[in-house]
Amino acid sequence: MSLPSNDVDTNTSPDANVNTDANVNTDADATTGYSRRSLLAASATGLSVAASGCIDRVQSVVDSDAAEQVSLSILSLPAADGDRETAEITRHLEANLEAVGIDATISTRSESEFLEAILIDHDFDLYVGRHPADFDPDFLYETLHSTYEYDQGWQNPFGFTDTLTIDRLLERQRTETGADRERTIATLLEGIAQEKPFEPICVSNEYRAVRTDRFDGWDENYLTTGNGYLGLESDASSDTEQLHALVTDQRLAQTFNPLSPTTHEQRVIVDLLYDSLAVPTWSVPDEAEATDEETRAGEEVIDAANVSIEPWLATDWEWDAQNRTMTVDIREDCTFHDHTDDGTDADGGDANGSESGIPLTAEDVAFTYRFLADTTYGRAASASPAPRYQGHVSAVDSVTVEDEYRFTISFSTDRAVAERALTVPILPAGPDSPWITHLESSVESADDDLSPTQGDWSIVRSNHAPPTGSGPYKYDSHDAGTSVTLTRFEDHFTLRDDDHDLPAPTADELHFEVDPGTSSSVERVANGDADITTTQLDTYALESTIDDDAVSFVESPSWSFYHIGFNTRSMPCGNTHFRRAVSQLVDKQWVAEEVFAAEDSARPVATPVAEEWVPDSLAWDDGELVTTFEGEDGELNVDAARELFASNFEYDDGALVW
Amino acid sequence: MLTQVLLQLTVVVTLMVLVSIAVFVGRYRLRDTRLEWRARVRAAAPVTALLAAVLLFNSVARQYGPDVSWMIHWNLTWPIYDVEGEFILWLQSFEAPAITAYFSFIYIYGYVFLLVFPVIAYFALSNTRPLRELLTAYTLNYVLGLGIYVFIVAYGPRNMMPELVDALLYDTYPQYQHLTRQVNRNTNVFPSLHTSLAATVTFLAFRTRAIYPKWFFLATGLGVSVAISTMYLGIHWAIDVAAGIVLAYICVVLAGVLVGRWSVTAWIATLRDSSTSRSTGSGTGTDTKPDADPNPGSSSGSSGSSGSEPNADAGTRDTTPSESEPETGSDPEPERA
Repeated sequence: MSLPSNDVDTNTSPDANVNTDANVNTDADATTGYSRRSLLAASATGLSVAASGCIDRVQSVVDSDAAEQVSLSILSLPAADGDRETAEITRHLEANLEAVGIDATISTRSESEFLEAILIDHDFDLYVGRHPADFDPDFLYETLHSTYEYDQGWQNPFGFTDTLTIDRLLERQRTETGADRERTIATLLEGIAQEKPFEPICVSNEYRAVRTDRFDGWDENYLTTGNGYLGLESDASSDTEQLHALVTDQRLAQTFNPLSPTTHEQRVIVDLLYDSLAVPTWSVPDEAEATDEETRAGEEVIDAANVSIEPWLATDWEWDAQNRTMTVDIREDCTFHDHTDDGTDADGGDANGSESGIPLTAEDVAFTYRFLADTTYGRAASASPAPRYQGHVSAVDSVTVEDEYRFTISFSTDRAVAERALTVPILPAGPDSPWITHLESSVESADDDLSPTQGDWSIVRSNHAPPTGSGPYKYDSHDAGTSVTLTRFEDHFTLRDDDHDLPAPTADELHFEVDPGTSSSVERVANGDADITTTQLDTYALESTIDDDAVSFVESPSWSFYHIGFNTRSMPCGNTHFRRAVSQLVDKQWVAEEVFAAEDSARPVATPVAEEWVPDSLAWDDGELVTTFEGEDGELNVDAARELFASNFEYDDGALVW
Repeated sequence: MLTQVLLQLTVVVTLMVLVSIAVFVGRYRLRDTRLEWRARVRAAAPVTALLAAVLLFNSVARQYGPDVSWMIHWNLTWPIYDVEGEFILWLQSFEAPAITAYFSFIYIYGYVFLLVFPVIAYFALSNTRPLRELLTAYTLNYVLGLGIYVFIVAYGPRNMMPELVDALLYDTYPQYQHLTRQVNRNTNVFPSLHTSLAATVTFLAFRTRAIYPKWFFLATGLGVSVAISTMYLGIHWAIDVAAGIVLAYICVVLAGVLVGRWSVTAWIATLRDSSTSRSTGSGTGTDTKPDADPNPGSSSGSSGSSGSEPNADAGTRDTTPSESEPETGSDPEPERA
């Protein structure tokens, strides 16, 4: 329904733009009552981004007397410079939507614009993309709970509300353990499979090209997290000062805000710059077996492994099941990175560094949890939760500081969810904290009361360079949109203390460079220009043959799932029957086999959690609640598929109308 | 990686240019160029400075352009795809390694050569009008093309049809992506500046076909090849290419109208008293007279802006009799066709 003519009107002149915005918003508000958010966004920023969505909606409301063909715009990523698999699934879906009489269009966006539209503007009908997910099904709490209905950020981007069933199950599983929790989660997953706020399609392994001649030990750690870049073995005979990694998202070399919701794949860099109390740890099985086929391509394999939350900045914690409190001890004498004398303490300044750096204490931990729950830190009338980590911090009721290195966290959840909350990055408190400084200046410059737009105000959007964490690597420099360099933080406890077997930083410097495409990234690793492709590769790259023993593809298991996300705030995707029918237009089996080029690189799924949590009813092979494709081998059975829609919608001359 | 690609490009294009100078320009024109180059440089300096300024501005604005584009968000990808359907697929059905190699070569090397050589070829003419028209047309292409890019976001076929269109250039020769990324964005697709600049050269080669008849044929061949290569390699849609040709035509016509309309040197003469700080003017401002010499014939003719094409030819012939006559006599190449 994105009519070019509308866009022309809004965009021909900047002056006209302002007027159109205003008109559109008034109209939309009067007729739909929905666009409260758009109104806020537009009035705050004056952008036509928000307005373009409104125009579409106004159009559909105005014409609603006459039956009109259902039209949907599918957000997707560019194929060659983004995610080829996402683009292909989108084309498959678009063709089948057209086949059942829906006017479907594909709106291709860059990665950050894609996330902006979904997470911040909520300006979409449906999209195809990847969800980061997690090893524990509790990520569904922040993804679907109705308390986040109006939030911007990773919490509930679908605007989904089901207070009677889903909300209660989401809450109940947080307070249970063992078999009880398993049962609740099974019921929850079945409920989600019925309601379909989103439809999971498949889970694909992650592949990265690495060189092993300069640094080795890549498969020891999980490369999706920062830990993958620690504890490497460097080859003494070659120049191993700088580890050269390739990323595709330019934002990674522009934005250094751990709270920014629209920076794609920032996890590795955030993990390296910031410590967390605990880290998820994957135990790697002893024998890494490689099949013939995989050795041919030079691949190494690690199996999907068990995950546990292991101490990192915390040395130990004690869980009091009675009161649901956790007493945590953290490592002593840790400091935040000191950026006051830029770059002088790279080598010889160890002693200096430890004296001048701000010490990390229990106060910083208490600050972090409170700040993530409310980025205005109580300075505004209403709380402004960060656009990330809400699942984590919502488990925390309060943090009580016992002494400098000991504190007690009081949780509203049981242990599994509580431990997951320990994985957020610890941010500095205190007068020198960039967060406090930013907050103070925001309060000062606000005319009367500070009333920032949740999830979209400057503190969660601005660059915050240099970023101040306490992690194993410290920000050194960046060339906007091109590269970012981190240096080893010599004072980090993994280098200093001996009482642990945690991985320590190996390379003196990590240099992340933006490289546009899968093919060129692989080539650069192949000819020795880079050590690893940090961004996961499109699977077609695995077909390329590289005659170099030092180059291999590392396969990592993943929970991240491809899915169709529906905007349940607006029709027709607000209708459950409609969402179910659309879900039956995607042949997941075909997608996993044909779209993902490497064999067994993806598996179709009916539910979005790690395999061990999948209930029998939603097992892909024979679960009775699995949504099936209306057709075979990727070919839609058009008549049968139209029947799915006909029960709730009407057809007029072959077009689905409403 | 980038430096390696750049070096290779420089070497190959330099060789192509040297051969072409020998074939198309001829030594008599080079001889005259040695004598007259100062005057020609002076005549072309203002527009060259303007082009340089535009390119410089582009490299700065490129950082902010995409953000503005997404803000305006006039996304044309789908409408284009919807209208032209599967033309690119048809074109790619002819895929063969040799064809891919040829068009990849054309897209990178042929294109750069096509833009560089006419600058030298026209500089070798006593009449600076073709040169100034060329540089003006380049400038217009950039200004108009990049202006459109700010308003229109569109992804090319390689980003829309992954399962069908092979992004042949970047998959076959990934190293070139480092080069093209330096000068362009993947959402800058409509119109095709590759096509419009190549077509601009071809149109101007048509105007000067009396002087460089053989170059006209080569430029036409290369221009058509560049246009096809952008589509064959999955980088542009046919609509982008059509828009590029239209843009080229507009730029060439505009250049014909604009060149000679204002004389920077004359303008500077009027401002002589106050020492101007404009970098474009300061170089040429000191000696106004010599520059005026090659101008009067053509500029007076064109300032009326009557029919640009015949005018250009006429202008070229009018002012060059002195050196074109001996050439036709002794040099066997030019003016034969």
